[in-house]
Amino acid sequence: MARRPRRRTLIAVLATIVVLAPIAWFWQQSLVPGDLSAMDMGYADYGGGPATHDHGGADVSTLTGPSGAPDMTVDLVARKERFDIPGRGATDGFTLNHTSPGPQITAQQGDLIQVTLHNESVPEGITLHWHGVDVPAAEDGVAGVTQDAVQRGQSHVYRFVAEDVGTYWYHSHQVSHEQVKKGLYGVLIVAPTTSDVVAAVHTYDKVRTVNGGYGERRVKAPGSTVRVRLINTDNGPFSAWVDGASYRILAVDGTEVNGPTDVSNKAVVVTAGGRIDIQLTVPQGSAVRIGLGGGPTTLVIGDGDAPTGAEPADRVDLLSYGKPAALGLDPAKATRVFDYTIGRRPGFFDGKPGLWWTINGHQFPDVPMYMVTEGDVVRMRIENASGQVHPMHLHGHHVVVLSRDGVAATGSPWWTDSLNVEDNETYEVAFVADNPGIWMDHCHNLPHAAQGLVTHLMYSGVSTKFHLGGASDNQPE
Amino acid sequence: MRSVYRALAGLIAIGVVIQAMSVALAWFTALKDIDGGLVIDENSERNLGHNLHSIFGLGIIPLLALLLLIVSFFAHVNGGVKWALIVFGVVLLQVVLAIVSFSAPAIGALHGLNAFLLAGAASMAARRASGPPTVAAEASAPTEATT
Repeated sequence: MARRPRRRTLIAVLATIVVLAPIAWFWQQSLVPGDLSAMDMGYADYGGGPATHDHGGADVSTLTGPSGAPDMTVDLVARKERFDIPGRGATDGFTLNHTSPGPQITAQQGDLIQVTLHNESVPEGITLHWHGVDVPAAEDGVAGVTQDAVQRGQSHVYRFVAEDVGTYWYHSHQVSHEQVKKGLYGVLIVAPTTSDVVAAVHTYDKVRTVNGGYGERRVKAPGSTVRVRLINTDNGPFSAWVDGASYRILAVDGTEVNGPTDVSNKAVVVTAGGRIDIQLTVPQGSAVRIGLGGGPTTLVIGDGDAPTGAEPADRVDLLSYGKPAALGLDPAKATRVFDYTIGRRPGFFDGKPGLWWTINGHQFPDVPMYMVTEGDVVRMRIENASGQVHPMHLHGHHVVVLSRDGVAATGSPWWTDSLNVEDNETYEVAFVADNPGIWMDHCHNLPHAAQGLVTHLMYSGVSTKFHLGGASDNQPE
Repeated sequence: MRSVYRALAGLIAIGVVIQAMSVALAWFTALKDIDGGLVIDENSERNLGHNLHSIFGLGIIPLLALLLLIVSFFAHVNGGVKWALIVFGVVLLQVVLAIVSFSAPAIGALHGLNAFLLAGAASMAARRASGPPTVAAEASAPTEATT
């Protein structure tokens, strides 16, 4: 009789271990080291090409922009402070030179731009990333990969040549999911035209704004023909449309569309981080309204009443918009082919239970590092099986869309840096590895990136001395 | 241990009530926000109700269910392990239904229904441990004390 309860207790203890051990193991496995190098994280994926990875080579910080006298200089001072959202009121957040969005940077093609960033009072430190500009790697502004976060009282100088004409933007890449949302962003335009109207959309804690203002914002028409530069600085895609005129899509993510055609009664999706330039003609004596994702914030161009419409059900499909042209690369001769499959599964991430993103079935930081050599032609299959849309952003490069769900692209070459990958969609893209460095390849829904939907494109012969976490407290997302 | 078992099961049932309250709070807050000109979309921070629902649903309630299961191994509750397993299973099912509902919102109705199953199972478990110990459990309890 005395043995039975002892055995019973033993069984109970064993059962407890059986229940707890796997949970403890998964919990422990999910912990992200507090000091991590992009060089050591994840596992190398050579995409079927030669395994050329070497840990030596040039440090990413040496891959700077050109020296010499800059054509334009910009000083930006970042602060944590209260600022006004015209049409809505004051809010707490972050500013650059006391405004959010920060000053618009406008450069001519070929200009050497020099930006000096000072952090006056942003507690976690900041950086600036030039979204869509294929800058040299040291100027990319990713805390923990290409530089240390600029802490309070510190400065950092960015220098790069505005090689490509187009619409871009800049934002902090340190604790970016907090800092961008709260105001650390601005517009960058290379080779502006006299007919420009900028429409930079940003949502501050549920308050959607265009060019920093809430509600119906009005601008004068710079002429009868207007080029509207739509910029999405948010985490989710929005659809834009025009009430009162038809329009043409002139450029996508800074690249001109070949043979654009008139669009009417259709919306165009501007994905998170993405830019779409549209051209429209303001009818004589009236105004047009740009719908920006629905809600109370719209942009009216011109004088007088503007028509008020609803979001058109149809959307422009960039896969077939415009006329084909030479890509400038041969996808059939790809030297590396990668998969970037996004999934989601329940479990732990850094010890926290929840639903977490996976890349090729692996969770951050155990994710594939896409290894390339300069000159490689790369094909990448981006598949989304995660239940939510992901705006995928590769730094330092533009990729051309080859197909979606097996349907080949038939329109203008669709060069992009921010690609809207809906749930259950698969895109095939191609690019030339022509910009040595270590480049983030992540979801631009920035909270998703903070939840681990981030990896890197790494060039052989490039290393980084910077660390994620560590003494400099770099948290790029 | 019996009282711990009963308390844990009772807390899980109360947790279900809190979940119903928090999700109602969440969506009435969201509707008022929309009326106030705010935009509820991917850019939106979740409100207090949503956050409470996540903390209880993915944190506190699964943790309580796990503790209940472990306690059931030691507490001499007749059918206690069985009911703890049922509670644990229903909690897991509830999480799975929530996951599926993000892409298939209609499944969310089953998530709501399953909440009642969880409340019922947790109450049954609590009731199992509420009365005096059963004969079998009583027989082993004193001997345990003497060993």
